[in-house]
Amino acid sequence: MTVAKEQQWATSFQEANDTNEELNAHGKFFTCTYLLDMETKKILIQMHAGKVEKITVDPGPLDSYQFAIRASADTWQKFSMPTPPPMYHGIWAASFQRDMKLEGDLIILMQNLRCLTTQLELLRVVGSPV
Amino acid sequence: MAKSKISPVTGHYVTFEVEGEEYRVFYLENGTGQPIVCQHTAGCHNHQWTGLLEDEEFTQNYRIIAYDLPRHGKSDPPLNTEWWKEEYKLTANFFTKFVVAFCDALELEKPIFMGSSFGGNAALQLALHYPDRFEAVIPVEAADYAPGFYLDWWHHPHANAAQVCASGVWDLMAPQSPDKHRWATWFYYTQGSEAFKGDLYFYSVDHDLRGKLDQIQGDKIKVVMLTGSYDYLTTPEDGKRTADQIKNAKFIEMADIGHFPMSENHEVFRKYLKEALSFIGTSATSKA
Repeated sequence: MTVAKEQQWATSFQEANDTNEELNAHGKFFTCTYLLDMETKKILIQMHAGKVEKITVDPGPLDSYQFAIRASADTWQKFSMPTPPPMYHGIWAASFQRDMKLEGDLIILMQNLRCLTTQLELLRVVGSPV
Repeated sequence: MAKSKISPVTGHYVTFEVEGEEYRVFYLENGTGQPIVCQHTAGCHNHQWTGLLEDEEFTQNYRIIAYDLPRHGKSDPPLNTEWWKEEYKLTANFFTKFVVAFCDALELEKPIFMGSSFGGNAALQLALHYPDRFEAVIPVEAADYAPGFYLDWWHHPHANAAQVCASGVWDLMAPQSPDKHRWATWFYYTQGSEAFKGDLYFYSVDHDLRGKLDQIQGDKIKVVMLTGSYDYLTTPEDGKRTADQIKNAKFIEMADIGHFPMSENHEVFRKYLKEALSFIGTSATSKA
């Protein structure tokens, strides 16, 4: 993926998030920073009050985040299919049955679980960046 | 005047004792014929069975009964103990004795017991310990052993327990299941967070039938296991492995459905349930 396509993906993801009815209705306290580690690419997502504040593709070594969701590119590709196959259809499913790992301060993940779950399913709308 | 529709499903309370503890139990029912006693999933309540309770093809030949386990829905904790002074941990011993006491209280003779998730594991326990009390059991999304879900996250005080429980089980459901039914199930789960972890003590810790499945008398009690292809907790492989070790048991994999089949997608689930009841030999078609 070229830098231009990466930026296009980030813009699409942000638009999908910021115009999502569920997130607009329930995202008042959805404020956190987390990393999607997709093996061949890393995505740092900074959220504020339900809106995407900033998306950084392949952040620097000192960029911080509160929790990370890590899996192979293959897992994220399947997770991001419009109808994902069994065991790739959610972060719990892929963590229990495939190679996904939830790391970092998981209480932040749990505090934001409702909105985070909705947000990650937007990958099925905009597609995977890997 | 606006159109209205009154459901044929009725609700009742029944009070009885289990090992000296008094319980006032709420149940929904509809239909006539062979009783099918339905257990909801952990941290949930009997609205999960609404689709079946209102499905005339079943209710014309079966008496569908769906209760709320104590501490769930409209069934309170025990009436005669200071339950708030103890941590709630459901055990196989209590769970099975409760189900038998409930069936005794309603004077049900040889009912079919069907439960999903921890209810499915309870069905296996009933098959092992009470083969003469039930015609058959239908363990849905069950396995001999289901570790890993007895987690502190379900009632951590620094998170919204209702949302953690509800969204924590979101991807136990299949993405193909209709949004309105998945969200209804999600909604039910926001109501049961106080009991969810204690339920899962049974589900993931106390329930362990590894090495004991060959003791289930499959010649006395029929066992039909149903597992959805999107169930990541008790996968179809887990269900089949379990059924393969029970004499005369049948295993049916359900395509494109998850861990809450009766509430996330009754229209898909009902086809497999008909197949299960046909195997048991008391199907609607055979009794019509």
